[in-house]
Amino acid sequence: MMSTRTSEQAAKKLGIMMSSRSSSNGQAAKRLIIRNLKVAPRNEEDNFLSLWKHIDEAVRAIHESRPVSMSLELLYQSVENICAEKKSSMLYSALRQLCEEHIRREVPKLTLEMNDQIEYLKLLNRHWEDHCSHMVMICQIFLPLDRGYVLNNPLILSIWDLGLDLFKNYIIINKTVQTRCISGLLTLIDSERSGELIDRSLVKSLLTMLYKLQLYQPIFETEFIKSSEKLYSHEGESLLQTFEIPEYLKHVEKRLNEENNRLLHYLHPSTRQPLINCVERNLIGEHVNTILQKGFDNLMDDKRLDDLKLLYNLLSRFLNGVEQLKNFYSQYIKKRGRDIVINPEKDNTMIQELLDFKEKLDLISECWNNNEKFTHALKDSFEHFINQRSNKPAELIAKYIDTKLRAGNKEATEEELDKILDKIMVLFRFIHGKDVFEAFYKKDLAKRLLVGKSASVDAEKSMLSKLKQECGGVFTLKLEGMFKDMELSKDVMSAFEQQLQIKTSLSIYVNVLTLTHWPSYTASNIILPPEMSQLQEKFTEFYKKKYSGRNLQWQPSLGHCLVKGHISPGNNKEFQLSLYQTLVLLLYNAKDDLSYEEIFESTKIEENELKRTLQSLACGKVPILTKSSKGVDVHSEDIFKFNKSFTHKLYRIRINQVQLKETQEENQSTNEKVFQDRQYQVDAAIVRIMKMRKSLPHNLLVTEVVGQLKFSIKPADIKKRIESLIERDYLARDEQNPNQYNYLA
Amino acid sequence: MKVTIKGYTGVAVWKWVANDDTCGICRMPFDSCCNDCKYPGDDCPLVWGQCSHCFHMHCIMKWVNGNQKSNQSCPMCRQAWKIKEK
Ligand SMILES: [Zn+2]
Ligand SMILES: [Zn+2]
Ligand SMILES: [Zn+2]
Repeated sequence: MMSTRTSEQAAKKLGIMMSSRSSSNGQAAKRLIIRNLKVAPRNEEDNFLSLWKHIDEAVRAIHESRPVSMSLELLYQSVENICAEKKSSMLYSALRQLCEEHIRREVPKLTLEMNDQIEYLKLLNRHWEDHCSHMVMICQIFLPLDRGYVLNNPLILSIWDLGLDLFKNYIIINKTVQTRCISGLLTLIDSERSGELIDRSLVKSLLTMLYKLQLYQPIFETEFIKSSEKLYSHEGESLLQTFEIPEYLKHVEKRLNEENNRLLHYLHPSTRQPLINCVERNLIGEHVNTILQKGFDNLMDDKRLDDLKLLYNLLSRFLNGVEQLKNFYSQYIKKRGRDIVINPEKDNTMIQELLDFKEKLDLISECWNNNEKFTHALKDSFEHFINQRSNKPAELIAKYIDTKLRAGNKEATEEELDKILDKIMVLFRFIHGKDVFEAFYKKDLAKRLLVGKSASVDAEKSMLSKLKQECGGVFTLKLEGMFKDMELSKDVMSAFEQQLQIKTSLSIYVNVLTLTHWPSYTASNIILPPEMSQLQEKFTEFYKKKYSGRNLQWQPSLGHCLVKGHISPGNNKEFQLSLYQTLVLLLYNAKDDLSYEEIFESTKIEENELKRTLQSLACGKVPILTKSSKGVDVHSEDIFKFNKSFTHKLYRIRINQVQLKETQEENQSTNEKVFQDRQYQVDAAIVRIMKMRKSLPHNLLVTEVVGQLKFSIKPADIKKRIESLIERDYLARDEQNPNQYNYLA
Repeated sequence: MKVTIKGYTGVAVWKWVANDDTCGICRMPFDSCCNDCKYPGDDCPLVWGQCSHCFHMHCIMKWVNGNQKSNQSCPMCRQAWKIKEK
């Protein structure tokens, strides 16, 4: 009864088991079990021996790869019978012994002298494959043993595992076999690394064998990583000396791809981490500084986007890699940027170069994987170098904008102009001395507005709103005031013309300025022809009546005129002239030649201005006068003669003031103005702080002042301002402590 | 040569006609406006008192309205504050 139940259970298990392998076998197995029940127990010992005889013979045949004479069905039945007679343990030992003997006999075949490493690997692989296919057959025959005895005894190896265990302990653990196997594999992989094609399936099969025998990690991987380590540490050292960096980076990338490919095809996934780490560390990690030092600047100079991307990618695998890259990036920007701004001889091209440089850096930014640290590094480094040259970049940015906004600039459409202005605003953002910029911008804007040289009101307004957005309303308040004055002047002029009623042959237009909005101009008293001074007088009266409590101060240096010139019969021209140029030319209505002294006496134009004016009329592109002395300098003994043979292809001619000298002087006065303003701001800051704190020691006061100012200032200069304020009784030194100041209300 | 002027574009700067450079109340120069305003000119006019002192209109209004005891007196000379009609 007992045996029936176990047999039924065995049959059930077997059925389930078999169906997953092959259905025909399963059918056979079921039938066999049913017949098995009819077999009557005889002498147990005799029975085992007679059954084993067949089995023993079959197993030997399998081991020798001969055909098995008995059918597998019958063998299976015999095993099952032995198991049913509770002789499983005996059967297992007998099988074990049989297999062990066989494997022992195999060992000498694998330890024979053999020179060809690949042939040896093939031999070993063949043995392994044979072993596996033998064991599959043996397992099929001994299935009842596996399902019953082995399953119920946890300490007993399954038949398959028994096979592996024997193969491992007799063959692979054998020193000779192991050494040959591992060194063969490493040689094969090495030759693949040096570009040869190898039999990957052979490598894969042997590595799988090692893995199944649980020897992959201890005997292969350790050695493999060791040899990779040796190869790549040598490769890193030597290639860095011979390769250029882009070439080297490409090589590293290629190496990484190859190793990944190896992982995909034959290495076990567990090797990924140590292997990739080995390649990265030896080819990159150990040499970060050398790579950056040797190649980074060139990659940047040549805009090698792909290489830079690769560099970032490779360095990002190391703890400080990206940080080091970022430092080189900062240094690069500072170095190249400083070259652009520091040399006064390159001032003419500075802004264009800065714009190009920024554009290039923006382009390269895509290589940094949106890393915010690089965005900050770009900003900080740009800000750092651009302020290495104080004031000049601010001045040149203002002038660059002037050239773009000035009439006659054929630079494209409003849209394109707006783009240019946006770009220049980016540079502007980095500038510390915004007050210097403002002063120069204001001076140029004044010229554009007053001489009617502005290219477009829309562009001016758009620039103004950009500045407002960047620096706030206070910064642009005065600039907006300038536009306001221009609008107001229009209204005043139309009111003036209405009350004037009669049209005069000479028309007047006046721009009335609010002092604080505009750059400061020096007033001068010159002699105007009666016609003009009467008209000016009339306007002044009108203005004073319209705005009581106000007076007007005329600025002849900013005036300009439209003048008709009858040079000779049939040669008439129209001139766009400054007021000074006009006053000089008017003198030639009476005489054809005049001395410098005569001109000065009749106009009272200030000496420098007069010399410049005469230069523009006699030595410029439109020589309507001739000068008695050679050269461009004007001397007080010079005689100026009307140039009767004057011709010009245009009817309307603008005679420009001489620019160069004017610019230098103007620059100086603009810079002085900024300096003055800064002193006021320092004074105001000191007074503001002291009013609040009442009493402060020197150092604290200096720190607070520096914190409040928007430009950089030396402590020594602050000290000077403090002393000046003490002189003017705003502050006093404390009687007990001379380092302490007290506020005087 | 005969030269005739067709048009003249002049530039003039306007200034307040005041006895002083700065407003005695807010200490700002008259060329600038009072602290509450943005632009000098019509937005922030000046007023002259009969005592001949002159202030930003906004400043003297605040002074007169905000100071009960001394109201109606000029902050500079303490004479009664009366606007001088022009
Ligand atoms: Zn005031
Ligand atoms: Zn006001
Ligand atoms: Zn008064």
